[in-house]
Amino acid sequence: MPAERGLTLLVTCLAVISGACSERPTDTEEPPIVPAATPTLVATVSIPPAYGIHDTFVRDGLAFVSAWNTGVMIFDVGNGVQGGSPSSPQLIATYATPGGETHNAWWFWNPNTGEKKYLFVGQEGPGALGATSSGDIHILDVSDLSHPTEVASFHVNGAGTHNFWMDESAQILYAAYYNQGIVALDVSGNLSGSLSNRLVDSLRPGGAGDTYTWGVQLDHGTLYASDMLSGFWQIGLTAGHFSAKRGGDNVPDRYTSDLTVANGFGYTGTWGSNRPGVVGDAVKIWILGASSAPLLVDSIVTAGIGTVSDIKVSPDGKLLMFTAERGPNAGFWFYSLSDPATPAYVARYLVSSGVHTGKFGTIGGRLYAFGAEDPPEPALLILDVTDIDR
Amino acid sequence: MTRASFLGLVAAWAPLAPLGAQHGLTARLSGQGILVGTYADPVAGGQSLGEVRLVQPIIMLDVGLPRLRLTFHATADFEGWTMPHGELAPGDWGEGYVDRRHPHTYVHELMLSAEDVLGHFDGKARTTLSVGKGFVPFGTDDPMSRPVERFPVNHHLSQILERALVMAEVDVGPATIEGAVFNGDEPESPGQSPSLSRVGDSWAARLTLRPLPGLEWQGSRAVVHSPENRAGAGTDARKWSTSVRADRRAGPAHLYALVEWARTSEADGVFVFHSVLAEAAVTAGRHQPYYRFERTERPEDMRTLDPFRSVRPHLDNSTLGTSRWSIHTLGYGLRLGAPIGHPDVVPFIEVSYGRIATVDGGLFDPTTFYGRDSFWSASGGLRIAWGMRGHRMGRYGVPTRTMDMPAMTEPDRAR
Repeated sequence: MPAERGLTLLVTCLAVISGACSERPTDTEEPPIVPAATPTLVATVSIPPAYGIHDTFVRDGLAFVSAWNTGVMIFDVGNGVQGGSPSSPQLIATYATPGGETHNAWWFWNPNTGEKKYLFVGQEGPGALGATSSGDIHILDVSDLSHPTEVASFHVNGAGTHNFWMDESAQILYAAYYNQGIVALDVSGNLSGSLSNRLVDSLRPGGAGDTYTWGVQLDHGTLYASDMLSGFWQIGLTAGHFSAKRGGDNVPDRYTSDLTVANGFGYTGTWGSNRPGVVGDAVKIWILGASSAPLLVDSIVTAGIGTVSDIKVSPDGKLLMFTAERGPNAGFWFYSLSDPATPAYVARYLVSSGVHTGKFGTIGGRLYAFGAEDPPEPALLILDVTDIDR
Repeated sequence: MTRASFLGLVAAWAPLAPLGAQHGLTARLSGQGILVGTYADPVAGGQSLGEVRLVQPIIMLDVGLPRLRLTFHATADFEGWTMPHGELAPGDWGEGYVDRRHPHTYVHELMLSAEDVLGHFDGKARTTLSVGKGFVPFGTDDPMSRPVERFPVNHHLSQILERALVMAEVDVGPATIEGAVFNGDEPESPGQSPSLSRVGDSWAARLTLRPLPGLEWQGSRAVVHSPENRAGAGTDARKWSTSVRADRRAGPAHLYALVEWARTSEADGVFVFHSVLAEAAVTAGRHQPYYRFERTERPEDMRTLDPFRSVRPHLDNSTLGTSRWSIHTLGYGLRLGAPIGHPDVVPFIEVSYGRIATVDGGLFDPTTFYGRDSFWSASGGLRIAWGMRGHRMGRYGVPTRTMDMPAMTEPDRAR
């Protein structure tokens, strides 16, 4: 039949055309500083491109990968339960949380009961940054790592969750909640169904209309929060309730992204700005006092990046890592904290498509950085950074 | 790819053209290109920008096999070569470009149609089946075949193009019903083809009525799966469009007018974008003044270090907000040379003035981003076309031959 031949011809033509002109960026800038050491890539684990990988939570040789519409992927990266190692991660299970958009996770170790039962998963739904958000907290029972099951959830009308921090001894989850600010949730005991009656407190640090909180961290009984609109905050706590807040309105030049706190210093990333040419290429360095507002003392500005997407201090407090996106110098960046007020560049590991988040994990006495490589070919990247930390 | 597209169409046409009607075959080669200089003030950052580009360079090949009731239509578009960084046009967006109209894919259309496939079985109706790559039966005609050179902001709300599709069309008297299934993914680069594995994940339908000669109404609906994430992980778009189009003689002149409304809802209604557009052109002798007004909302996506490009693929489902663009465009074209038998050579000039507003909050603030909440732009250039009459970009089969492209319409030949 002529029509069938025509159809075959068309399909063949389209198939030949497919992929014939794949394009990749070629422009890169030379490094500003010669690295003193080099991280070693020990594993690259492809993640389904449903957008891909957003975050990783590493604990006890297990990596909980938040893989957007694929769900939570649990890897043995040295725990031994599945024979995995950092250089040979072994997938234990994948669980697609309802609604997808799996963004971040926290594996709760309850020191009061010894339970390691619950995995808290954040869903990042659609929203207009700075104004609206959506997405729930999903609680999975991971008693059997190979068969995770959702047992509870938490929903806030008109807002969606972002990054977590857990006060495990107090059994309180602190969740950044974008336009809702910060939410404190009682996670003690058995968790089932809706946790709407577990809400302890909530706070919009910048007030209504000037709050869009990215991340939180507890340090020595004080909560710190990074807010895209209103900057860096120190917030007092009383039995999980928020008390005095200090700081804020202290990053007028850019939108604030993630935070990390260690050694009496805070480090916050930046996401961008509303002005062309002023991008999220800065890390802000803050001195923290027990009862005073964070004081900005310095900043690191990195050429060739557009977003500081995550920032963390290693468990020994000696190494600062931030991940970067949008630019030829996107990837992992490492700084020594020998002088925590003036971090010194140590090394970088560039990833052209960008790295969305980075987390440290100590496995077998060695320090690893776990990174989320952005699409189009998303992957979990594992770097051995032990030598850099030394 | 560019060279291959060009040579492919010419090589296909050359041996076919002389065969003539005795072999029951027709072949026609046509095309156009516009050399245009554009100045816009402001662009991102508050400064002004001017540039010259060759835009809309296309070649079309139409082959007909009347005995077999088959038609083949192909369009090669060379914008990926002549304007890889897009065409400066404040407000325009899509496929990773912002305030620039994106280049189209080299293989713009590649459609095979079998007409009247049911013969007498469908009575007086004519049923056409089409397959290939091209325009989805949704919304209004492609801006490339309309009088205003500047693409409207609503291009991605009112047209769905460059998809691999299978479509059916039934013509009954003054009514046409079209339906198609296609791949939802938009192109990511001029050389990229539709994701064939996704063909069928999206659909569209359009009803067109022609109550009077030269007067047309259409209403259409489409559900597009994950248009901005090729792997299929993005949010879906639910689209509506309706329009009234006039294209007819009015005394000694020829009148073209279009009024359209479009709505796209994404992420289960979290993001909703509306558009209202009205445009008209009058062709009198060599003169063609024209005017367009549109008010269209667009998503503000995170941009790369290049303020004219947005991050693709997206890293999540959020935007920086929604902006509303209200734009007046006034233009004038003058046809040079003989009206028949020669290429249309039309120098033109057009000026746009627009205002930008935010809708429902978000990080995006036009006053900060552009320095103010209004803009103007001016374009001047030369449009050269030949053999373009009789093709409306966006329709295949019988309706293709019912109206002329208004940009090329000659009043003494218009129906």
